[in-house]
Amino acid sequence: MNAYLALARASLARQFRYRGANLAGLITNFFFGVIRVSVMVALYNANPAAAPAGYDLAKAVTYLACAQAIIGWVALWGWWDLVRALKGGEVVADLQRPIDFFGLWAAQDFGRAIAQLFLRAIPIMLAFALVYPLVGPADIGQLLIFILSFALAWFLSFTWRFLFSILGFWVTDGTGFARLAIFSATFFTGFLMPLSLFPDALAGVLRWLPFAGMVATPLDVFSNALRGPEALVAVAVQAFWALALYALAQATFTAGVRRLTTQGG
Amino acid sequence: MTQPIIALENLTKTFRVALKPEGRSLPWARTWKTVTAVDAISLAIGRGEVVGYLGPNGAGKSTTIKMMTGILTPTAGTLRVAGRVPWRERRQHVAGIGVVFGQRNTLWWDLPVQESLDLLRHVYRVPPARFAENLTRFRALLDLDEFRFKPARDLSLGQLMRANLAAALMHDPGLLFLDEPTIGLDVVAKDRIRAFIREINRERGVTVLLTTHDLSDIEQLCERVIVIDHGRTRYDGALSELVERYGGDRALQVDFADDYAEVAVEGATLESREGRRAVFRFGRGVTAAALIGRLSERYTLADLTVREPDIEDTLRRMY
Amino acid sequence: MIFIRLASATLRAQARYRASLLVDALSALAGNGLEFVALALTFDRFGSLAGWSMGQVAFLWGLTEIAFGSMDMLFGGFDPAVFGQHIRRGTLDMYLLRPVNLIAQIFASDIMLRRLGRIAQGALVFAYANHVLALAWTPAKLLYLPVVLVSAVLFYGALFIAGATASFWTVQGLEVVNVFTYGGTALNSYPLPIFDRWLRRFFTFVIPTAVVVYYPALYFFDLPDPLGLPGWVSFLAPAVGLGALGMSLLVFKWGLRHYTSTGA
Ligand SMILES: Nc1ncnc2c1ncn2[C@@H]1O[C@H](COP(=O)(O)OP(=O)(O)OP(=O)(O)O)[C@@H](O)[C@H]1O
Ligand SMILES: [Mg+2]
Repeated sequence: MNAYLALARASLARQFRYRGANLAGLITNFFFGVIRVSVMVALYNANPAAAPAGYDLAKAVTYLACAQAIIGWVALWGWWDLVRALKGGEVVADLQRPIDFFGLWAAQDFGRAIAQLFLRAIPIMLAFALVYPLVGPADIGQLLIFILSFALAWFLSFTWRFLFSILGFWVTDGTGFARLAIFSATFFTGFLMPLSLFPDALAGVLRWLPFAGMVATPLDVFSNALRGPEALVAVAVQAFWALALYALAQATFTAGVRRLTTQGG
Repeated sequence: MTQPIIALENLTKTFRVALKPEGRSLPWARTWKTVTAVDAISLAIGRGEVVGYLGPNGAGKSTTIKMMTGILTPTAGTLRVAGRVPWRERRQHVAGIGVVFGQRNTLWWDLPVQESLDLLRHVYRVPPARFAENLTRFRALLDLDEFRFKPARDLSLGQLMRANLAAALMHDPGLLFLDEPTIGLDVVAKDRIRAFIREINRERGVTVLLTTHDLSDIEQLCERVIVIDHGRTRYDGALSELVERYGGDRALQVDFADDYAEVAVEGATLESREGRRAVFRFGRGVTAAALIGRLSERYTLADLTVREPDIEDTLRRMY
Repeated sequence: MIFIRLASATLRAQARYRASLLVDALSALAGNGLEFVALALTFDRFGSLAGWSMGQVAFLWGLTEIAFGSMDMLFGGFDPAVFGQHIRRGTLDMYLLRPVNLIAQIFASDIMLRRLGRIAQGALVFAYANHVLALAWTPAKLLYLPVVLVSAVLFYGALFIAGATASFWTVQGLEVVNVFTYGGTALNSYPLPIFDRWLRRFFTFVIPTAVVVYYPALYFFDLPDPLGLPGWVSFLAPAVGLGALGMSLLVFKWGLRHYTSTGA
């Protein structure tokens, strides 16, 4: 356990060193958020009655603000560490360490995520709160469910990134596939628009897929769009997919290592 | 020396560097210092010379070459190469020079070497007949046929440097700048590159300015060396004189025929003693013959060797 | 001409990686396309955006995406991220050692065919817009459309060149440049009146991306500007595009004086 903790801590410290890049990223995330919120406000202004019952503008705006804040936490876009390590052959060194490979990378990524929570997620939420009226978890119970869901979102996103990255065991340059995986999944995560505003049938399906758990679920819990039993079901779906993707990741990894050792790098 | 082809006068280049690497500090919280990479260097190089440009790491060699090739703008001083100010007339200037940086590549990474050379023919507007002539000559001298149709990214470092040398000379430049062209190469590859440089200089009268940390390059190619340190000229002159002037003491190694309790001789200091062997150091004021005379009067000698300091020793003393 | 030879060398080199080219183009098509789908699905619920129909927004979106995709392909060498790498690795030295105009070399160094994916996405959305809008195309409008497209390409290109220039001084600042390049473009995909006043002013008068897409669109739709600028602003696009490009090139040349190469 200590080894994982040390890895996470080192990776966290590394994030804190790049102050300039963090500040620049923060500004960019915030600016794009402003554009998206502006679109949302205009849509609601055009026809407030068209919104689903109970899903008011404040919830939608909170959802979009959180979406910008969660970028650094789930790192679904622009995380190439493992793809590069596989391409460059550095993973061979990792494979020789007496430590679980998934755990090694998960620990490092968790450290990165925690750093991003303080460097990006919280400052961005504060910035949005200054400019727009936001809502937050309605009560302690909701807050606890949110924290659980938020943590699961990281785990799901990491497992998913891990999965498409280790395709690099089979193809020489995994970058292209990784990019395809990322770009296609974005839509399904609910990052682009609140799932509640999609047609009900589509949203219904998306909520059962693993992707919603990476972004939409914690956001809907935070903004109280999913409450009580509904929220618990959504978190259960997240937990189910977390286990399923984890099992899949380990199995794929084992197959990949077998391929590496039998065929050479 | 007739009209020099390269003339520097008090050439200076300073860099402003951040004390903390970028990204770790925010723009308004940064502190800077000024590094003087080249500090008022003056020199002149004549047509057809092969000059070794020496100095320890960070001395300012590459920075000087970058100014002479038009990549960097000097901070102060004047610089003329073939009558031009390189950075002001960049295009005309680079058309007349060839440049190779060791471990860097100027060829198209994903294209076969031959295609890169063909492209360069157009870039430098080399007449086709002349290009064909040069190609034939370089294919022989640098053994290009071994890899001519492979993309640059598949070449070994030695092959890559050979290809880059050919590329740098396809347009018949009168001047060749080489910044550590033999770095990382094995002995055979080094020899081939040295032979090529010598050949090009003899056959075409190309002026060569060469930096290197491999002193065999210098011994085999240069009659003249310029040594710089901390951006300032320390020496400029014949290679042979460098050793004489800065080489320091010579050494006389003596093997005695008997075991003596103490050995000594005027004009030299005992440096080390081990069994019957002793090493004395002596300056330019005494001759070896005089020392040997004095020694043989007092002791029975078995064997003698006189060692001149080499360039490496000399430079070690200078840096 | 030497530029064509250099550019064709770049294309030949890319053709060696056909598979990854295809995958990259496809992911851009899918990624950007799905972004539009998400907007369209949400839009459908509300019916209009600041008085604009879905078709009109699609028109803006398509025009912007075609222009930005084409720019990204043609000005790829100036992409601040790519150019920053040239500077950090010292590969710019190599261009400086060739007797060819530097700017021409940078243009020729990176023509990103994979951007065709994004262009295709823009074209599809634009076709959809024309399908649902049934615009009254007059000869004048038909002539002005390609002019607007080229102007937008030049304008976005100027933003890239300005961003590339910044990398002569800074590495970390480059991500902020994204606010102007990618952010300015994202803003172009929506009708201007939905944004706050300071944003509108900034992107109309300081970095006038609105003048190259939004105002010309008003002309194509025969709409007056709800913000009160006169009608002729719709025709400033070519002047703004060319002017911005010229200015950015001047700034770039000046920035080159500050190029310090690398320490190796
Ligand atoms: N682009 C740059 N920015 C900041 N400092 C630089 C830059 N280029 C060189 N320097 C500094 O200038 C000094 C001289 O460097 P230069 O590369 O000219 O040395 P050199 O003699 O070629 O050394 P080496 O033998 O290691 O190649 C060094 O202190 C170096 O750190
Ligand atoms: Mg050097």
